[in-house]
Amino acid sequence: MRRTFAQSLALYATVIFTLLMILFPVYWLVVTALSTTNELYRLPPTFWPADPQWDIFARVWAAKPILMWLWNSMLAAVGSVALSMLVSVSAGYALSRYSMRGGATMGLFVLTAKMLPATLLVIPLFSIFSSFGLIGSLWTLVLAHSTMIIPFATWMLKGYFDTIPKELEQAAMVDGCSPIGAMVRVVLPIATPGLAATALYAFVLSWADYAYARTFLVNSPDNWTANLGITTMQGEYVTYWNDISAASVFIALPIIAIYLFLERYLVGGLTAGAEK
Amino acid sequence: MTDTVRAGRGKFFDLARPSRQHLLGYILIAPAVLMVAAIIVWPLILAIDLSFQQVKIPRLGGASRPFSLNNYTWLFSSEEFWLACWVTFKLVVVVTAGSVAVGLSTALLANNRFKGRTVARLGIALPWAVPEIIAVVIFAWMFDTSFGLFGWLAIQLGFSDQMIPWVSSSTAAFWAVAITMVWKGFPFVSIMCLAGLQSIPSDYYAAAKVDGASVFQRFRWITMPLLMPVLGVTLVLTLLWVFRDFSIIKVLTGGGPLRSTQTLSIMTYDQAFQYHNFGRAAAVGVLTLVICIIASLLMLGRRSKSIY
Repeated sequence: MRRTFAQSLALYATVIFTLLMILFPVYWLVVTALSTTNELYRLPPTFWPADPQWDIFARVWAAKPILMWLWNSMLAAVGSVALSMLVSVSAGYALSRYSMRGGATMGLFVLTAKMLPATLLVIPLFSIFSSFGLIGSLWTLVLAHSTMIIPFATWMLKGYFDTIPKELEQAAMVDGCSPIGAMVRVVLPIATPGLAATALYAFVLSWADYAYARTFLVNSPDNWTANLGITTMQGEYVTYWNDISAASVFIALPIIAIYLFLERYLVGGLTAGAEK
Repeated sequence: MTDTVRAGRGKFFDLARPSRQHLLGYILIAPAVLMVAAIIVWPLILAIDLSFQQVKIPRLGGASRPFSLNNYTWLFSSEEFWLACWVTFKLVVVVTAGSVAVGLSTALLANNRFKGRTVARLGIALPWAVPEIIAVVIFAWMFDTSFGLFGWLAIQLGFSDQMIPWVSSSTAAFWAVAITMVWKGFPFVSIMCLAGLQSIPSDYYAAAKVDGASVFQRFRWITMPLLMPVLGVTLVLTLLWVFRDFSIIKVLTGGGPLRSTQTLSIMTYDQAFQYHNFGRAAAVGVLTLVICIIASLLMLGRRSKSIY
C-alpha cells in the first residue's frame, strides 16, 4: 500500500502532534523543576526557563531523604515480588500440568481477587497487622502487595507454562529425572522470559502502591516509600512546586527506565490474559 | 506377593509414580493456597464480618459485637452513600469513555507503518509507566488555581474569563480528576488495542479492498468485530480500575470539595481511617466489591472467563 506525499505528511503530522499532547505533562514536570520560583508564580507561564536551575536536583537530593525513600520502595517491591513468585511459580506450574479438582474455582478466585478494592482489604489487614505489632514495618507492604501480585502472577505463569510442551519433561523423566527435577532443570529455564515478564510487572505494581503505604507506615518516616514521601512534600498552605517536581523526577525515573528498556516484557505481561 | 507390597510401600514417596502425580500437583499448589487463604480470604471474611457489627476500631481476638444490620441501614439512608455512588458512576463513565476514545485512536494511529513507529509507540504508552502519585503531582500543578497552566489555557482559548477555581468548584474538581485519570488510564487501552489490531490478519483487509470496501467499511466490518473481544475485556479492566482507584483522587482532591469527587473507594477509606467507623467502612467496601462483580459479569456475560 503506497501513500501519496500528502498522506504521509498528514500521518507524520498527526503522530507528532499526538506525541506532543501525550508527553507534554512529563515535559512540564521537568520544566517546573528547572524554573525559578519567580518564573513559576507568573502568568503567562514560562515554557522554558531563562536560566535552568540544574542544581535543584542536587539540592532536593540533599534536603530530602530521597535515597532512603527509594530504598524502602525497592525493599518492599523486591520482598513482595520474591515472596509472590516463590509460591506463584509452583502453583502456576501445578495448574498447568495437573488436572486438579478446584482448578476452575481457582480461575474464578483470580477474577474476584482482581476486583477486590485495596480500600476494602486494607481495613481487615490493618487490624491483623496491628494485633501482630507489624504496623510501621515494611513487612506490612511485603504482605499487602502480595495480595495484589499472587493471584495475577499465578494465572499469568500458568499461561506461560501452557505454551511449553509437556513432552520436554516426559523426555527428561524417561532419562531418569524426577518430576521436580524436570520442572526446575527443564521447564523453568525455558520459561525464563515469562518469569521475567511476570516479575517485572509485579515490581511495577508494588512500586505504584500508595494506599497501603499511607495506612501502615504514615507514622514511621524511616520506612516511608517513595510515593508516600513525595506526598508529604505537598504542603498544606505552600507547596514548593520546583522541589516536589525535582523529587518526582527521581522517583519516576526507575520505572520509566524499566519501561523504556524492557517494554517488550511488560507489554507481554499486560496483554497475556486478554488474547484468548 | 508380600514382596511387591513391600516394594510398593518403600516407594510411597516416589512422586514420579503416575498414581502420585496428583499428590505432587497438590503439594506444588499448597503454598500459594495457604498464602492466599492467610492474606486474602481470611481478611475478606473478617471484613464481611466487620460490616455486620457496629464497631469503631476493631481488635482482633476481642469479643465480637452482636450481629447487626445497622451499618447497611445507615448506608442506605445516608445521602453521602448515594452521592458517592453517583460520583463513582459519573467518573467511571467519563474516564472509561475518555480512555477508550483516546486509547483506541492512538492504537489505530500507531498501527500504521511509518518510520520511527517503535519510538512513537513507546511515547504513546509512556504515561502508563509514570507512577500515579507522580501523575498527580504534575496535574495538581497544572490545575493550580492561581498559576496553573490549564486555567491560563482556558482563558487564552476563551472558555473562561478568569482563572478556574479547580479546588473549590465541584464541577471543576470533578473534571480535574477525570482528566488526570484519562491521561493515566488510556495507555493501557492503547497497548491492548494495538496488540489486538496486530493479531488481525492483513489478508482480510486485502480481500476487502479487492471487493471495493472503503476505509470506513473496512474499519466497521473487519476491525471493529475482530477487536471487540479485546476491547470488551479492556473496557471492564479500565472500569474496575476507576471503581477502585484511591491514590489519584485522594492526593489530588481528597474527595472534596463538598464530597463532589468522593467515590465509593474514598468513602470506604475515610470512614475507616478518618472517622474510625471500621464497621461502616467495611460495609461500603463490601458493597463496592459486590457492585464490581455484578457490573463486570453483566458486561462480559459468558465471556467473563477471558478476563483472567
